[in-house]
Amino acid sequence: MTKSDPFRAFRSLRSLSSFFLVLLLALPAFAEDTAATGQLLCKAIVSEGDEQLKLVAALADTNSDLVRKVLVAWPNDGVYLIDPGNGAKLPVMLEDAQDADGKQKAVRIDTGDYLKDASGKPEAFFANDLDSVDCDLRLKKAIKNTLDLMTLNDPDPETRRSAVMKLGMSQNPAYVPILQARIPKEANHMVQDALNDAIAIIQLKNPDPTIQIPAIQKLGARTLIASRDVLTDVVNDKTSTPDEVKAAQQSLSLIDGHIGRVDFFGTLFRGLSLGSILLVVALGLAITFGLMGVINMAHGELIAVGAYTCYVVENVFHSGLWLSPFGLSFHIPGLNLGGWQFQTYFIFAIPAAFIMAALVGILLEVSVIRFLYRRPLESLLATWGVSLILQQSFHLVFGAANVQVDSPSWLSGNFTVSDVILGYNRLFVIGFAIVIVFLTWLLLTKTPLGLLIRAVMQNRNMAACMGVRTERVNMLTFAFGSGLAGLAGAFLSQIGNVGPNLGQNYIVDCFMTVVVGGVGNLFGTVYSALGIGTVDEILQQVFGSPVVGKITVLVCIILFLQWRPSGLFATKGRGLES
Amino acid sequence: MQKTFSVSELITVFVLAVIAIFVVPCLNSMVPQTSFFYISDFAINLWGKYLCYAILAMTVDLLWGYTGLLSLGQRLYFALGGYMMGMYLMRMIGSLGQYHMPIPDFLVFLGWTRLPTFWKPFDSFPFALLMMVLLPGFLSLVFGFLAFRSRIRGVYFSILTQALTYAACLLFFRNNILMGGNNGFTDFKFMLGHDTRTASTQRGLYIASAFFLLIVYLGFKWLTGTKLGKVQRAIRDSENRVLFSGYAAANFKLFIFVVAGVVAGLAGALYVPQVGIINPGEMATDQSLEAVVWVAVGGRGTLIGPIIGAVFVNVIKSWATRAYPDYWPIILGGMFLLVVLFLPGGLVGLFGHCVNLVKHSTKKPDLTAEINAEVEAEPAAPVAAAATATGTHNPSE
Repeated sequence: MTKSDPFRAFRSLRSLSSFFLVLLLALPAFAEDTAATGQLLCKAIVSEGDEQLKLVAALADTNSDLVRKVLVAWPNDGVYLIDPGNGAKLPVMLEDAQDADGKQKAVRIDTGDYLKDASGKPEAFFANDLDSVDCDLRLKKAIKNTLDLMTLNDPDPETRRSAVMKLGMSQNPAYVPILQARIPKEANHMVQDALNDAIAIIQLKNPDPTIQIPAIQKLGARTLIASRDVLTDVVNDKTSTPDEVKAAQQSLSLIDGHIGRVDFFGTLFRGLSLGSILLVVALGLAITFGLMGVINMAHGELIAVGAYTCYVVENVFHSGLWLSPFGLSFHIPGLNLGGWQFQTYFIFAIPAAFIMAALVGILLEVSVIRFLYRRPLESLLATWGVSLILQQSFHLVFGAANVQVDSPSWLSGNFTVSDVILGYNRLFVIGFAIVIVFLTWLLLTKTPLGLLIRAVMQNRNMAACMGVRTERVNMLTFAFGSGLAGLAGAFLSQIGNVGPNLGQNYIVDCFMTVVVGGVGNLFGTVYSALGIGTVDEILQQVFGSPVVGKITVLVCIILFLQWRPSGLFATKGRGLES
Repeated sequence: MQKTFSVSELITVFVLAVIAIFVVPCLNSMVPQTSFFYISDFAINLWGKYLCYAILAMTVDLLWGYTGLLSLGQRLYFALGGYMMGMYLMRMIGSLGQYHMPIPDFLVFLGWTRLPTFWKPFDSFPFALLMMVLLPGFLSLVFGFLAFRSRIRGVYFSILTQALTYAACLLFFRNNILMGGNNGFTDFKFMLGHDTRTASTQRGLYIASAFFLLIVYLGFKWLTGTKLGKVQRAIRDSENRVLFSGYAAANFKLFIFVVAGVVAGLAGALYVPQVGIINPGEMATDQSLEAVVWVAVGGRGTLIGPIIGAVFVNVIKSWATRAYPDYWPIILGGMFLLVVLFLPGGLVGLFGHCVNLVKHSTKKPDLTAEINAEVEAEPAAPVAAAATATGTHNPSE
């Protein structure tokens, strides 16, 4: 206990100081506000009782930043009364900056100027010496109401909307006229709808059935998920008339149907994005395994190479990075960028991840895989050895702990379409997957290299006889597949932490995706990735547990292969072995 | 085909078996601790573990080296056998656990007050023993039946076995299947009335492991010498030709797969009381791959190879994880890489090469000798030849 107390004090001190920092930043705005607002505020602060409550409520119409700041400070003992010497009480706030003695300058609320002594110099005070303006519970409530009403004037529509809904959910009939008055003033459709919804929610409490029942029906027609609880209250309320209960039940069933659809589309969307992740991760393997027949167990580590490249690029854009591999220690200098320049790091990280993974892939191909094209089982074992070595190297270079890669701001956040939440990063991965599949398709079908790749894959000996340098084509194909793994890593770094075992979590899924899709068929991989992703997401919903969902998917895949042993799209061949 | 057992081999096996089963335990229990020949309890325990690994490696080899089925999930059957033994051992703790309840501690922790029904029969050792055989056997039967029926072979078989292992591993990490979850079973106290923590019980378990290894060795030796063994190798070399000759290759493979699963399960059951713990980490996918490394390093397609490989790799592992804990995975990976790339016959194959080299150098370097040497060298490295033949996409076929 002795330890936690100073800690708590420190924390409250910190929140207090951050609060004052806000005040400090706001100070220049003081001058802009009209003196009239200041006068109104002062009047409200010095008055008492019901008069004060009325004045505070009246402040809601001012729509001034000054009022907002003072009202925030007031219940937190941030507004002080000072006797300037003439017996009058002058409301002031203290500036955050302290002088050498720990004193703070006072700012007059009525004028926005510093409180000056006789010589015209700003006076400074100890916060503890001053009387802060009292604030009882009733007043606090009034201030909060005023602040809530003031947010209705906030320039940000989203803030306005949530403020409106908050007022609605309070079900306080007093807000109805205020909200109704806002409707004609409101330009934004979303906020207008919210205002109507909020009014309807408040009207649920109205004892008059001619108002209440239409309100209930309106909420049902709007399928407002937020109103589900209040409608349930109406159903459970013993004083409700049978008509009301019936109307509420109808509305509830409408809303429940809507929730079902939202869940369905939400699951579908998450399944699609999960499938896209799988697709991005498995596409590289579809090329190295599916087209080249190389069982690359180090594919997961190539993904990790991409993810770590992203991590390094992020740190280079930031403040640099200390690495201490194998007992050495060296520093990668950083560019110390901030703001939007830093946010662009991901655009540079994507090609960097591709190139790094492709280089590692080339190294792997030249040193190991080249010798094992005719021995697929052995390529599996050798690449597993490589994967062990790479994993431990990540471990030694970047540490055993997972590292965090900060997403650029344009990848975080989400928006909603008809209550279905669409995350930007999930949307991004879907778009990313589409672009990658398209580019891969272009490369394989429309470029000379693609032609060579297909030729070598179809018949290596014949291609060699025709003068194709098969070794070089193999190397480039493998590099391309590895580069795709790197891209997948760059993306995975945005949706989770990066650790030495990152790739291990995906390798089994990757192989499953490629096998289910049909080895040697890229579009099979696309279908199987999206299918497995969606089924996985649905099963997770059904079983309520990701692990059980995953186990079921794996078992389903094993059973699926009973039915179609060579996957969804089997490569047709006449050979028995193929 | 020559006789199954040659005299010199029988003598070697007999001598090694006598050393492992009689001499080593005697050196542990009868020689004074100060003596040079004394073998510590720790070493006995460690070697008991190695021998269990060797049995596991032999099952991997029976599948991979002899039948061409690279199973990446052999550790799953090992762990399942271990879990069955673990359940019995958990019941033998009785009320001596942390909570002093008549049910295993983790069940108390999960809020159970009575024993779940499927735990009850594990009070009896014969039942547990039956389950050690039946559960791995049943799983390998079902999985093998499904896999071989739809002619899943080669790499696809490997990937599927790995997926199955992965799924099982995820399943055993869950608490609600009441198999100990993340922590698995540990804190064992008694087995068949003996305290598992005493040196004498551990010595007994070591002897049991060595004896079981001998039985498995002789059994596999016999099995691979029978006609079934020949079909088995024929399947490895060219499954289609076996099919066209009228053999139901799937049934042969299924039989071998189930035998390997059951033997691995029994090895796991012997392993658990010696290490004193069983948890889902035992069936992680990389554990199975490690068993494949032992076989590859030792030399696949031979019966002695997996034993040598398992012991060799694990001795190095015991040393390296203490001396260079950070570099052990790199050593293991590198070792594997080297063996696959340059030493397809493993240590046994290397030994064969060395023997041949010695033979070469003692002979006169004339033309006929060289031809003879090449003819002789052929059977010395059948594995390398077989390796190139297995799973190759031979365009002429």
